[in-house]
Parts: sequence; C-alpha cells; structure tokens
Amino acid sequence: MAKLNAVNRLASHPAGILGGGGALLFVLFIGLPVIALLVRAAQQSDFLDAVTGDVALTALRLSLFTSIVSIAVVVALGTPFAYLLARNESSWLRVIDTLVELPLVLPPVVAGFAMLMAFGRDGLIGSALADLGINIPFTTTAVVFAQIFVASPFFIRAAKLGFQSVPMDYEDVAQTLGVSPWSTFFRVTLPLAGPAMFTGLGLAWARALSEFGATMMFAGNLMGETQTMPLAIMSAMDPSLDNALALSVMLLLGSALMLAVLSLLTRRRWQGR
Amino acid sequence: MEAEWEIEPGQVLVLFGPSGAGKSTTLRAIAGLLRPLSGHVEIGGRVVYDDDDAIWVPTHQRRLGYLTQQYRLFPHLKVSANIGFGLQDRETSARKERVAELSSLFQLDGLADRYPWELSGGQQQRVALARALAPNPEMLLLDEPFASLDSELRRTLRRELRGMLAQSPVPVMLVTHDREEALALGDSVQVINEGKGLVTGDPVAVLGQPGQGRVARLVGVENLFDLTIQDRNPRDGTMSCIGRGLQLEVPLDSDISGGEAPDGGVDRVTVGIRASDIILAKEALTGSSARNQLQGKVISIESRPPGYAVTLDCGQPLRCHITGAALEEMKIRSGQQLWAVFKASSCFLVDDAQEQQQDTES
Repeated sequence: MAKLNAVNRLASHPAGILGGGGALLFVLFIGLPVIALLVRAAQQSDFLDAVTGDVALTALRLSLFTSIVSIAVVVALGTPFAYLLARNESSWLRVIDTLVELPLVLPPVVAGFAMLMAFGRDGLIGSALADLGINIPFTTTAVVFAQIFVASPFFIRAAKLGFQSVPMDYEDVAQTLGVSPWSTFFRVTLPLAGPAMFTGLGLAWARALSEFGATMMFAGNLMGETQTMPLAIMSAMDPSLDNALALSVMLLLGSALMLAVLSLLTRRRWQGR
Repeated sequence: MEAEWEIEPGQVLVLFGPSGAGKSTTLRAIAGLLRPLSGHVEIGGRVVYDDDDAIWVPTHQRRLGYLTQQYRLFPHLKVSANIGFGLQDRETSARKERVAELSSLFQLDGLADRYPWELSGGQQQRVALARALAPNPEMLLLDEPFASLDSELRRTLRRELRGMLAQSPVPVMLVTHDREEALALGDSVQVINEGKGLVTGDPVAVLGQPGQGRVARLVGVENLFDLTIQDRNPRDGTMSCIGRGLQLEVPLDSDISGGEAPDGGVDRVTVGIRASDIILAKEALTGSSARNQLQGKVISIESRPPGYAVTLDCGQPLRCHITGAALEEMKIRSGQQLWAVFKASSCFLVDDAQEQQQDTES
C-alpha cells in the first residue's frame, strides 16, 4: 500500500515527470552505443576469428595479468592502510588521506608523465635504479605501476569507509571474549567491512583494466609487453575495425560480468537483502 | 577517576551515578580497553594492571565478560556463532555442547540459526549475556545492560539475571543510573560522581538513607529540609527540629559522621525523608507509634509509575509516594487536607558540613 502511494504521488509530481524523462534519455544515451557495438559485432562474419586472433588474445592475457597483479598489490597494502585511516584521527594522517585521492582528479596522462619524471632513465630516482640494473619505464612493470597509481584510490577510499562503518565497540567486545586483535580483525572487522571493500575492489579493477593515458606515457605500446586491451583497441583502429571491435566487446562483456559479480558479493546476507 | 573496589566471587557491586560520572570509563579501564593513569587491577587473583610494576595484560588475555547497553552482537554471525565466539576450540563437540547448554539456560532454544536482526530486544540481550559467559570469565562487567529495554522487559530480565548470577560464582560489576536496578541487583553499591567514589555500602542504606548531602541529591532523596535543632531528647534517641512552619522528630544527631556526635554548638541540620516512607491518612492517627504527624493541603498529584507522587504543603512541600489503588480508595484531590505520618527513624540526617569541607578541598 505504501509503495503504491509513493508511485502514484511521483507520477503527478514535476520531479517524477522530469526524472522519468531524464531516465529515459539516460538509458538511451548509454544503451545506444552499447547496442551499436553488439549489432556491429554480430554483423561481422569473422568476429570469432578476431576474438581468438593473436592481437586480441595477447592483449587480453597482458591485461588480465597486469590488472590482477596491480589489484593484488593495492589490496595487500591498501587494506591495512585504509584501516589506519579509518581508525586514526591524527592530523598528519588527514593530510595523507587527501593525498590518496589525488590520482582521482589528476589526468592519467599527467600521472604517466610524472612517473616518467620519477622512474625514467633520467628521472629523479630512475637513474639510480638504472645503475643498479633496474629499468622500469616501457616494461610490463611500468604497466602495473601506472595501474596501481590510478586505481588505488578507488579501493582505499571504499575500504576506509567500510572500516569506518564498523563501530569500534564490536572489536572491543571481541577482545573481551578472549580473541586477539589480529583474530578480531579477520573474524569481525573484515567480514563487516567486506561488502564495501568488494565495491572498491571492483571499481579499482575496472579502472586498472581501462587504464590508457598513464600506460601510454609511462609504459608505451609494445605488443605482448605493454600493449593492454585499451591500447590495443586504439592501435587496431587503423587497418580494419575487426580487432578493435573484438576487443571492445570482450571488455564490455567483462565489465557487465563484473557488475553482476559485484552486486552478489556486496550483498549483506545477514541483513536479509 | 579515583576509587577503590573489591568484589568477592558471586557478589554484585553496583556503580551508581549520573551520566558522565565516570562509571563506563571505570569498566573500560578494568577491561583494558583504556589505560588508567595509575592504579592496580586484579582479576581472580591475577594482576592485570599495575603502574608501579609496569604490568599491563591486554584485554583478550584478561578473561572478562563485558556487556554494554547496545549488546553489539556480531551482525554477520548467527546466534550460535555469536554465543560461541569466545570459545577457543573452533569446531568440536565440546564447543557445540557449551553453546547448547547456554542456549537452553538463556531460553534461546530454536534460535540458533537466526541472525541478530531477527531477534527481539530481550532475546538479543540474552544472547549477549550468553556470549559473555560462554568462555567462563573471571569477572563480569555490565554497563547499563537493560537501558535500551522497556520497563516491563527490564524487570523480567533483571529477575532472570539475578537468578543466573546466583548460579555463576563470578564477581560482577554493574553500572547503572537506575535506582531500582541498583537495589534489585546490587549486593553493595558505590555512588560515583565527577570521577570520584563518594560512598560505598549496602544498597538499601546508601540509596535509601544516604548520609551525605551530595549523595542524597544524586540518589534522588525526595524530601530534604534545612532545620534548626530545638530540643534534644537523649532518652528516646530523638530530637525536635523546626524550620519554616515544619516541626519534625528525628533521630538524635549522634548518627552523623559515623557515630561521632558533633559539638553542641551545631544546631542546624539537614533532614532527609524518602517519599515512599510516608503514610497518608485522612484523619490524624490516634494511638500510633509514629512520632511525626503533619497536616497539609494537597498541592499536586503526579503520575510516577508504578504509583503516584502526592505533594502536601506542610509549611514546606512534602512529597509522598503512594499506589494508584490508595489514590483511588482515598479519593485524593488537589486542595484536600491530609495527614502525613512517618516514624522518627524514617528521618535521616544528611551531613552537609562534610560536603562543604570537601568542596573547599577540591
């Protein structure tokens, strides 16, 4: 009954009408290109050949490998860091907290360029690293660096909010029950912050997979070594659209799959949702 | 915070005081959730904190049960997992047995597979208590454990808790600002205010007839009168005091300051009378043992569950608590003339001099 009322009221409300129109336009705006991509792929007779072709598979393999490594690093280091940010009120941490979000607003191309200035052969520490025989720019490592740089804020921010949503009382109670602080973290804090962290993980992964600008600047575009899927799409545009189309559809389906998995993982089963 | 306690196994010490008095802080310090500046904490004969010897045992090694008014049941765990949370062996039959044992003790059978949000307030409270007791703690810390329940449920659970505590030989420290709760559960009570322990003793004595003015106000003594001693009567152990239209027979002032009679120069006293110690009558009682009979006009009648508070104007307002049945039977109305009757021993002297001295010290 209450639900019915809400719908009826919105139907005659100006915001309801405007909102409905907006929603329709928005769905068309997002949906049309997606449908166009799929229609075009369906029309392509040799679509399957392109998907299983060398260019596409090499790029896919590299993208998966680098993004998994990046996300593993971000989660491993970002989780304790996010916990510290959530639980500590000191002012120097507040400054770092702001710094964490810098990559969100920094154009990726600038990020890539800045990393070149730091780790490049003539860079701030890059020359010293080169003397030690360590070369980072224009290698697969550089791809991972670029992805970590742009993707980490998505995870750290979400994990911080997740931890903040767990009242410290839960941890206190767990410890009075004889459970060590470490054990408490894994048995209470982490499960309760889990849904928020999975959201962050998904966003960070998507961002890492789609990384383009920083990779281009800092890692270059070498097939098999630094040419991830977004770079491969760009490069494949020229001779024919086949490869670009194949890669795009693969990324599109991958993204859709990730959305579905995420909405499953972020469900809080203990609240009956 | 400055105070000292010692609790025997099976005994309940109530920390009583207004909010912000430092009660919860005390419990958190004992639990090791915050570190006191100095002091000594011993649980079950084991020193867990001592600033002189630099001893600090972390919370999870203190073997405590700690229950707050929010319960904080782990929302991602079912009832059985919540109860068993503090048990060391993870998936054994001993663990299952202990959980089952507590479930039936706390009347939680059949709820094992529910999540905390599917439970009523009273059930949540029982799960929290079962969880706290499961690892056999050496001590139980209860921080306003009934505060978020309605009064009827509070009474039921209080009775249950009393029974449960009688069975488990652990010392209990309970924090509350509810006088009824302190009286129902406490074996002894300490009144705390502004981080200081003011007085410790038997709940009925401390909360019923407190000897200090500060304590009297904290525990809510309804009637406090500043009077002048007119006449001492050592043979009966009483004296007459007057002030602003009021004359009372009260116990001789030897009660004050722990049995020491103040020098004869003191002739001003503060007298307290609990509202529930006063009998209301329509006519003067003849041939009664009660030494005090005051006539006065009813100036207000307020509901005060479970009864009523009637205020008479006997020169000074006098507050009396009566039941609803008595109110109806006597047909008490505003403006009516009634008699208030009470024994001399229902009057107690409140030591304001000591309080003033303390005030100048602090």
